Amino acid sequence: MIHISNILLALILLSVLLSLRSNRLMALVELMAFQGVMVSAVPLVLETAHGVTFNLILFFLLLVLVKGVLIPWLMYRAVKLVVVDREVEPIIGYNASLFAGLIMIVFSVYVTNNLHLNMLPMDHKLLLATAITTMGAGLILLMTRRKAITQVIGYLIMENGIYLIGTALAKQVHTQYVVEFAVLLDLIVAVLVMGIVLNDINHTFDDVDTTLMGQLKD
Amino acid sequence: MDTFLIALLLIAAGGLQALVTFRAYLLMKILAVSTIIGGCGLGLYNAVNQIFRQVEPFVCSCEWLQIFTFSLKIDAVSAFFLIPVFAISAVAALYSFQYMGDKERSAATAANYFFYALLIISMSLVVCADNLISFALTWELMSISSFFLVIYDFHKQAVRNAGYIYFFFTQAGALFIFAGFGCIYAHTGSFSFDAIAAIPESVKLTAFILILIGCGSKAGIMPFHIWLPYAHPAAPSHISAVMSGVMIKIGIYGIVRFYLLLAPTSVLFGQLIIVLGIVSGILGVVYALGKHDIKRLLAYHSVENIGIILLGLGIGMLGVATGHKTMAAFGFAGGLLHVLNHSIFKSLLFFGAGGLLRQTGTAAIDQLGGLMKRMPFTGRSFLVGSLSISGLPPFNGFISEFLIYYGAFHGLDLQGASFILTNLTILSLALIGGLAAACFTKVVGIVFLGEARSEAAAQASETGSLIIISQLILALFCLLIGIFPEPFVRAAFLASRSIPLLADFDSMQFLPVLSNIARTAALFLILFLLIAGIRKLLYSGKEITQSGTWGCGFTQPTVRMQYTGASYADSMVDFFRPFVRVQKKYSGINTVFPGKTTYSSHVQDTSETGLTLFLVRPILYLLGKLRWMQHGNIQLYIGYIVLAIVVMLIFI
Repeated sequence: MIHISNILLALILLSVLLSLRSNRLMALVELMAFQGVMVSAVPLVLETAHGVTFNLILFFLLLVLVKGVLIPWLMYRAVKLVVVDREVEPIIGYNASLFAGLIMIVFSVYVTNNLHLNMLPMDHKLLLATAITTMGAGLILLMTRRKAITQVIGYLIMENGIYLIGTALAKQVHTQYVVEFAVLLDLIVAVLVMGIVLNDINHTFDDVDTTLMGQLKD
Repeated sequence: MDTFLIALLLIAAGGLQALVTFRAYLLMKILAVSTIIGGCGLGLYNAVNQIFRQVEPFVCSCEWLQIFTFSLKIDAVSAFFLIPVFAISAVAALYSFQYMGDKERSAATAANYFFYALLIISMSLVVCADNLISFALTWELMSISSFFLVIYDFHKQAVRNAGYIYFFFTQAGALFIFAGFGCIYAHTGSFSFDAIAAIPESVKLTAFILILIGCGSKAGIMPFHIWLPYAHPAAPSHISAVMSGVMIKIGIYGIVRFYLLLAPTSVLFGQLIIVLGIVSGILGVVYALGKHDIKRLLAYHSVENIGIILLGLGIGMLGVATGHKTMAAFGFAGGLLHVLNHSIFKSLLFFGAGGLLRQTGTAAIDQLGGLMKRMPFTGRSFLVGSLSISGLPPFNGFISEFLIYYGAFHGLDLQGASFILTNLTILSLALIGGLAAACFTKVVGIVFLGEARSEAAAQASETGSLIIISQLILALFCLLIGIFPEPFVRAAFLASRSIPLLADFDSMQFLPVLSNIARTAALFLILFLLIAGIRKLLYSGKEITQSGTWGCGFTQPTVRMQYTGASYADSMVDFFRPFVRVQKKYSGINTVFPGKTTYSSHVQDTSETGLTLFLVRPILYLLGKLRWMQHGNIQLYIGYIVLAIVVMLIFI
């Protein structure tokens, strides 16, 4: 039986792979927004003991608002205002990155199986694999893209992965939401700070190319 | 709620309000100084009460973060150390009121008061800490708050450098202490102080040496003393006074406390402490002789006095290990009393140095001269401090050194290495006393007697009234302990009762010995006053002329014909040449009509050059080889982080 959660996970994986392949900054931001909505929806479709509660829906709405709307909008503005050349500028080519993403999926499944989490239901395991892939992809974006703005996007994708790991491993209880709310708040602040840093980098170097920051070492 | 906690809250309030009211400069200072003095007074009252009433130890504890217990306990030893903490801090706060007079830097002054309050609180918490975690936490708080106090004049490069050196030493020392705690924890499995005595003897020695290095770097034991001569001249004078007078004693407290907790039976502990004491004591005073900056000189005298304290404690430990009750009681009591005495006269001397610095703008003793006439109160109280630090009656330094001598002489029937070390203790105490007296004849002679060597010294006037009052208070206490030592010695004996061996030992039977000595001192003082009075009486009707000091019949004497500090100390420093390298630069007189000739001498600190040569250089060389890792590529930096995480996930 194809469960709706599997479709969601597949969509997330696809968005991850696409983000590794995309060569336009705007497309990357859009993908991130899409991924944010998908990730927020995951707790809704997971098999939970309590079913869908009011708290869960409230939490979902807030997550969508932050991950799917607010942060992408901030990034969209940043790209529009700061970046002149909207090419992604990879250090490792798109196809190689895509291949790395595929390896990442295999690696994540391997790791998930080797963690021996026997009491975890099947779809949680799949979720864990997806989560690790998302995190790894975020790291790949962080490490192999030259523009500072892709670093921020990579960081946000990694955060999506971390959130998914939390969802996969934690029982769906009240305290998890409290923690996640706090993380959400941190995330917004982090994005704001990174926006300021981006702006400053742009001011100083007239570009957001991180290779220029090599000049700062002593 | 207990008086102790109320006192701490009051001090905290004094520090915190400064951060809010710093725009109203005078108000901020009045509030800060008065609340800090109030809090210290309350704390002092509580500590004195605790030690003399011999009430049950005050205990208080609270869970923090649900992980560990923050617990406090004031027993006799803690209470004894609380006395200098609160007393000296209060007087230094009074001193700071006029000393911190730069209205332009009101925010920095407010921060200074805040960290000052934090330092007092953390020092008093360290001596009361009752488990490993509380001790470590408050110790760190003390180190960090004092670091911020040192860098008050942060816009000067030299001050920043001094701050970094201090920060490095204090953090490295803390690491050693934590390593020692780790040794203890590995065997007890709890942070509590109770189980420490049960760990194996070999582990005790390792743990004790680690803690000794850590506490020693705070206390300024040679060769871990290097930060002292940098940090003390850099800090404002009342901060130097508190740091040198009180904070380094917290290092001594750490050694005493962990000695008590470990309760070792081997003689090795006492011997180790005595050797360190001899080295710190003698070399400290010799280096001090060679210094020309008054605050740096005083910093080296702190090293020397820490040596004397260690000698006392070492004699006490030897006494405990060999079952000599009298020796143990006198050694510990002498060491502890010297903690109190040194905190008083060293603060007094730093206050005097601060006054000189404030009025003349220089701390170089060879630039000063003849100040006894222009700054009579500062000069006379500095003289009292000098006599006390040299261990001369009728002042307080004599009493504590006498106790240590007394203890050491009781140890002369020991065998082997202990006998030799006891002998050496007596000899080095005598040597230290003599050299310290020589060093302070140099300071007092050059700075306060003779003629002014510079314009600034000639124009100097007496400092502010509060500065003088705080010096007079301390000078009075120097004399008071010298003439009425009984209650103070009793307090030290009561504190030394914490040692199990001495718990039921009647050390009070020796008090009459001391009161006899004090009576002699008082007799001497009365005689001195009497002779001074007679002299005044005889000269009352006669004509008194005044002329230049040390005119010596020259028709055109110049101030440059006077002795300099370097030339005065040269022969004494020369005697210790293998340990004290003196760099001399002398252009020489080669022609019949000599032109401009220059001479300069600089005493090198052997442990500093040794440390630079054998530790700092190799580390810098090794780290230089790793420079390629810093290439400035952010993507690869992230790669490092990922690599580190992966490695940790796999191996840990």
